[in-house]
Amino acid sequence: MKAPVSWIREFADLPASAGVNDIAAAVASVGFEVAGIEGDVIDFEITANRPDCLSVRGLAREARTAFGGQSPGSRVPGLPAVARNAKVGPESEVPVTIESELCGRYALALADVTVGPSPAWLADRLTACGIRPINNVVDVTNYVLLEIGQPMHAFDVARLAGPEIRVRMARAGEALTTLDRQARTLDPSMLVIADAARAVAIAGVMGGATSEVSASTSRIALESAWFQPASVRATSKRLGLKTEASARFERGVDLEAATAGLACALDLLERIGAGHRLGGITDRYPSPAADRAVILLRSRLDRLLGDQVPDADVMRILTSLGFVVTPAGTDWHIRVPSWRVDVAREADLIEEVGRHWGVNRVPATFPALRTPPHRADAAVLRARRLRRLLCGAGLQEAVTFTFIEQAAAEPFASDSASLVTIANPLSEKFAVLRPSMLPGLLDALSYNRRRDIADVRLFEAGSVFSTQGERQRVGWVLSGARQVHWSQPLADVDLFDALGVAELLAGAFGVTCRSEPAADAPWCVPGRAAALFVDDGGASKYVGIVGQLLPTLTSARGLPAGVTVVGGELDLHELIDLQGANAAPRRVTPLPRHPSVQRDLSILIDAGLPAAAVRGTIQANAPATLVDVREFDRYHGKGVPTGQVSLSLRLTFRDRDRTLTDAEVQQAVEAIVEALTRTHGTTLRGN
Amino acid sequence: MAASSIEDLSRQFRAALDAASSPADLKAVRDDFLSRKQGRVTALVKSIATAPPEERRALGSLANALKQDIEEALDARDAVMLATAGPKDAVDVSLPARRPWVGRRHPLTQVRERVEDIFMAMGYQVIVGPEIEDDWHNFEALNMPASHPARDMQDTLYLSAPVPAPDNGRAATLLRTHTSGMQIRYMEAHDPPVRIIAPGRVYRRDNFDATHTPMFTQVEGLVVDEHISLGDLKGTLNAFAEEFFDAKVTTRFRPSFFPYTEPSAELDVECQGCSGRGCGLCKHTGWIEILGCGMVHPAVFEAVGYDANRYTGFAFGMGIERLALRLYGVDDIRMFYENDLRFLEQIAL
Ligand SMILES: [Zn+2]
Repeated sequence: MKAPVSWIREFADLPASAGVNDIAAAVASVGFEVAGIEGDVIDFEITANRPDCLSVRGLAREARTAFGGQSPGSRVPGLPAVARNAKVGPESEVPVTIESELCGRYALALADVTVGPSPAWLADRLTACGIRPINNVVDVTNYVLLEIGQPMHAFDVARLAGPEIRVRMARAGEALTTLDRQARTLDPSMLVIADAARAVAIAGVMGGATSEVSASTSRIALESAWFQPASVRATSKRLGLKTEASARFERGVDLEAATAGLACALDLLERIGAGHRLGGITDRYPSPAADRAVILLRSRLDRLLGDQVPDADVMRILTSLGFVVTPAGTDWHIRVPSWRVDVAREADLIEEVGRHWGVNRVPATFPALRTPPHRADAAVLRARRLRRLLCGAGLQEAVTFTFIEQAAAEPFASDSASLVTIANPLSEKFAVLRPSMLPGLLDALSYNRRRDIADVRLFEAGSVFSTQGERQRVGWVLSGARQVHWSQPLADVDLFDALGVAELLAGAFGVTCRSEPAADAPWCVPGRAAALFVDDGGASKYVGIVGQLLPTLTSARGLPAGVTVVGGELDLHELIDLQGANAAPRRVTPLPRHPSVQRDLSILIDAGLPAAAVRGTIQANAPATLVDVREFDRYHGKGVPTGQVSLSLRLTFRDRDRTLTDAEVQQAVEAIVEALTRTHGTTLRGN
Repeated sequence: MAASSIEDLSRQFRAALDAASSPADLKAVRDDFLSRKQGRVTALVKSIATAPPEERRALGSLANALKQDIEEALDARDAVMLATAGPKDAVDVSLPARRPWVGRRHPLTQVRERVEDIFMAMGYQVIVGPEIEDDWHNFEALNMPASHPARDMQDTLYLSAPVPAPDNGRAATLLRTHTSGMQIRYMEAHDPPVRIIAPGRVYRRDNFDATHTPMFTQVEGLVVDEHISLGDLKGTLNAFAEEFFDAKVTTRFRPSFFPYTEPSAELDVECQGCSGRGCGLCKHTGWIEILGCGMVHPAVFEAVGYDANRYTGFAFGMGIERLALRLYGVDDIRMFYENDLRFLEQIAL
């Protein structure tokens, strides 16, 4: 709301010494941010709860209160006194009928006019406030809108069928060309002003072109009404049409200002020689609003502010803002002015006092802690632990957008029907909620690689979405060299680096994860994908996936062929559930007191035989003293028959209570070798 | 093949060892005798296979003993040489080191945890909740009924179809526009007193520019008890600002409007770039807005079934990106979402 200081001063008794900047600062300090100052004109930002300050008078009330309140004896004009619902003389000659409760009040007056340009002072004020002058009649309605916040509309009576005014709902498909020359199709949810034949204005939003005031207009009907805020808001939204009038109506216009607005407008027409009133004022006001009275308790005021504002200041502030204050013991009975649509209860009054007393003056205190504090949510602590773990493991945390492009999401969703889409996305690039952490991470990785940053290891923990709901996951992507040093050739990361991250994370949750070939991972290179499982009370539970990303996905992001990107994702819910089942703190096992014995074994196996199968056979055929099996070499080529590989394993034996003998270890190893031969046809390889 | 050739080999080794005067010489001796491919001891061990069967066992143990001797002697000599190494054996320590990889927490995470830590030290519980929300928690219970003009303050992104909530609660229909819904979720489940903060991502239908992204991070705070005042709010937030900026800061509370607090205010801190004189950083106002706050609106208490006559409280919400811009001297919020390693690696570990 732009307002010239000279206009504000007409309604506020401000110190003569106060300049534009002082006034701007004072009004800003009570809650109206200043967006800009140009010459004499201050542009205030008006919060949604204060439609009364979308007017010069409203701002003047705030300004005068900010400068200490109305001084005794100052004559600050209020609204012209027009008694509520009183007929001012006879009614106007144009009959008015209200057919919907969405119109709370409708006042109408006629005037004979000579349409022409407005005087310069009037046109200048409109221009200063950002409204384009049109002609003296329209300018007068806008002037009143700016001055007291009452939107008005002038119809050319000669263009009204009847002439009469009916405030009714639009008919289905009813058409109206609005003042902006747009043909609008209305629907029955919209309130319109109609004449005897058709809609002539969209109530509270914009008038129609046919009854517009033009150079040839000689008689006008001036409308000053009140429409239900929600209705105006809905209509304005549906039509995509915001106007000075709709902005005020949808926030709430002063119900008592309708006739006052008419009086102002008629006076002004007269004053600038644009016309004169014809007959009386019609005022349809079916259910006048009751007085609003609120009690303000001294104890409540003190308790909420944490400060004791002196009685005199409470009186001064509220009175200057237009409240009628009657002291009652230590408390106050307060009548709320009709324009303060935002004030309904005691807290609203405390806000008024606090605002003008000054929040900055309230002494700062610190609230006492009356009950023991609680630790952070487990999810918060877990996320912190997980981030530190992955950072320590050399992965950089990324933060990527939750919404992505449909095409980017699809390869990572179980099926595209499970994607959660946004009804009103900013653009197609942000139309779908991510089904996985990976597409965003892949984008971030590619962003870096395109900038010649070769070694990228990223992770992100956060929410993913499907039509089943929101879940927490952690994802990671790796690309580039595993280690960079002049002493050794560069070796790129591979699937096992990504798998290692999964194992590290599972370990942090106190579980061991097992990987199996994942056949149906749409984003993975075939044969380079592992589904991750953990043991859940004997059953195998799927917790995530690791794989090498398809070249089509990496090349789509501008990466050259030959760049290997691996990644993976774990479902935190699944891991948390598991942990929930074993929620007791993990206990340590006593350290072994006896030495272990290690034996290395090199065997030739079919190249297609999974290491897990070999490990399984060994464990199934070993005594309980076998505590670890670890592959340390896998080799094929010279010396190994085609179709086979040489696999070397280190077996570790240990007993809790005694030192093992060579003989019993030897016996165990022989039994294992025999079982491997029997089960897989493996042959022992000479050392 | 005979035991005598084993003795010969032992003698030859001793001579070679005595002659070795540098680590390089020693390495050559080691290769000459022990190399898996052409080492003389290796060859000796292999040749045993061709010896007469009755001699194999004895020769085998002799050869093994020799091999062990040689290994021990080489290792001992290695240790001596290392301890007395001359300058020409020195490693060029100016060559690049083999540095372990290390990652950093994202700056937004670091700022968020900095905020969390400050409030945890003040006895606040940190809670988190869903990013997709229902109308009740995001608007209605926060004193923003349908058609409330304040809903325009936050342009909302809606889901095409409702998504079920994990707790069988109301289905989600929108992306939360603020973390304030967590106030409601917490109060619905707990009786006063309340002292929480709720960090998380929030979403608005804002276009990208240097100060706006459609996704950003907020931290919500809520304190409810029988005697919580605006003064307590001020004291708490002043303390927060000093801890966060790690300096004595001047703050200013400006009245504002939020539907779920009353009175409402915005907290500004004096611009550190210009000490309040005005500069580009603070758009020449001398102040930087860091958060919105206020006393909990009684309608919010009524929505969650708290006795609005008995309890009072304060709430606040701050944007992590905005704080991060200040802390790191970044002038474009989009930097935080590009994940450019050249930027991220400048952030402290
Ligand atoms: Zn500054």
